[in-house]
Amino acid sequence: MSLELQLVLLAWGTLVGLDLVSGPQMMIARPLVAGAIAGAVLGDVKTGLELGVLFELFQYDILPVGAARYPEYGPATVAAVSAAHAAAGTLGLGLGALVGLITAMVGGLSLDGVRRLNSRAVQRAGAGLESGDPRVLERLHAASILRDAVRAAVVTAVGLALAQLARDFLAGALTPKGVVLLQVAAVGAALAAGTAGTLRLVGRGPGLRWFALGVVGGTLVAWLR
Amino acid sequence: MTETTRPRPPFGRSLLRLFTVQGSWNYERMQGVGVGVAEEPLLRDLRAGGNGTVYRAAVARAAHFFNAHPYLCGLAVGATARAEHDGVPPEQVERLRTALCGPLGSLGDRLVWAGWLPFTSGLALVGVALGGRLAAILGFLFVYNIGHVALRWWALRAGWRYGARVAVALREPVLQRATALSAPAMALAVGMALPLVAQYLSGTVQGGWRAALTVLAVAGFGLLRWQRTRLTGLRLGLLFLAAAALVGWLWP
Repeated sequence: MSLELQLVLLAWGTLVGLDLVSGPQMMIARPLVAGAIAGAVLGDVKTGLELGVLFELFQYDILPVGAARYPEYGPATVAAVSAAHAAAGTLGLGLGALVGLITAMVGGLSLDGVRRLNSRAVQRAGAGLESGDPRVLERLHAASILRDAVRAAVVTAVGLALAQLARDFLAGALTPKGVVLLQVAAVGAALAAGTAGTLRLVGRGPGLRWFALGVVGGTLVAWLR
Repeated sequence: MTETTRPRPPFGRSLLRLFTVQGSWNYERMQGVGVGVAEEPLLRDLRAGGNGTVYRAAVARAAHFFNAHPYLCGLAVGATARAEHDGVPPEQVERLRTALCGPLGSLGDRLVWAGWLPFTSGLALVGVALGGRLAAILGFLFVYNIGHVALRWWALRAGWRYGARVAVALREPVLQRATALSAPAMALAVGMALPLVAQYLSGTVQGGWRAALTVLAVAGFGLLRWQRTRLTGLRLGLLFLAAAALVGWLWP
């Protein structure tokens, strides 16, 4: 993959990482969007969509409320698409999922780190904030957003580096049966996480009936296709 | 100042800043700094007549601890800014902010994180699984953000309109109906998406592998339900992939 394409993916991953919390929260951070656009950048929309769908299912396992800590699947999906693109075919999905899940974990840890750094910055600016100086407020806010942008760029860079390593060392080490097994494990885990996460949101009330109706409808459509 | 003589507040500037309300999220004041940044343009009128002390005190209060759903922070921004203009005592403004955290967080979580977002994303998954490709993604972004921007804009305007009586805004029928509808709509859309994406993602998996996939998905779901406090989707995925990589490396 050329350096130019890697840089475009890095820029896209940074925007995706910023969108998750700092703003504008227009949901380009959703794996479905992040993966599809990363795939389009690489001229491989199919792989981008497949990994976007896979990580969107993992995303259903998360409810980003309050100070909850959660994995970051946006930049992770960008890295996963990069890993999967070169290792085309069945191998791509499993390899991409492996790279993506590790990157998501790194992303989650980095979010906590940035929040701690922001807390220290707020403590340092305490007197200025209490004086009501708007310049202190705006500088603090802008510096925090910049910090998050650097974080998102570093997470994406780590993911892209992992993708390169996986392509170079893992792709050739697996047997053909192992390749299919990796894909089956990735899809199985994603479906389990998506279903469990959705049922947690739906609860045991009347929503469960609507969910069951949806599953029946979706199964019928899938069967008729 | 009466409503007719009051200059139009700079809602646009405040709204733009609200899009980054979580930019300085921290464990000290949570969204407080971001809320202060968004509220500041609405407080500038307080400087009129050289009354810098009132303005600075209001800006300092605006940046105190706050945490709610990011899309509904505008309601608190508008309401407290209006209360500051109306000369509501500082302690009452602080109490208003504190009182809004819980309801705005709960409403936003139900309406957006557990409603509108998974509903539109579920429809996008259906679209992709049925061959919609990039059109499904662009459709998702467009439709989702109509609701997103409309909610932010409504929240800011309603907060300013009601001021200290902002609780009235939370009882608006449209909001109540949207909250009641979002949960079943989400359940239906995601429920429909799951079998379709299962078919979409397992398209290249044949024969016995398909049975293995079903067993893994059911076992994974069972594990997640059984160990719900310890096991997350991420951990389950890593566990399955590590096991698969090991078996795949050993299996000739």
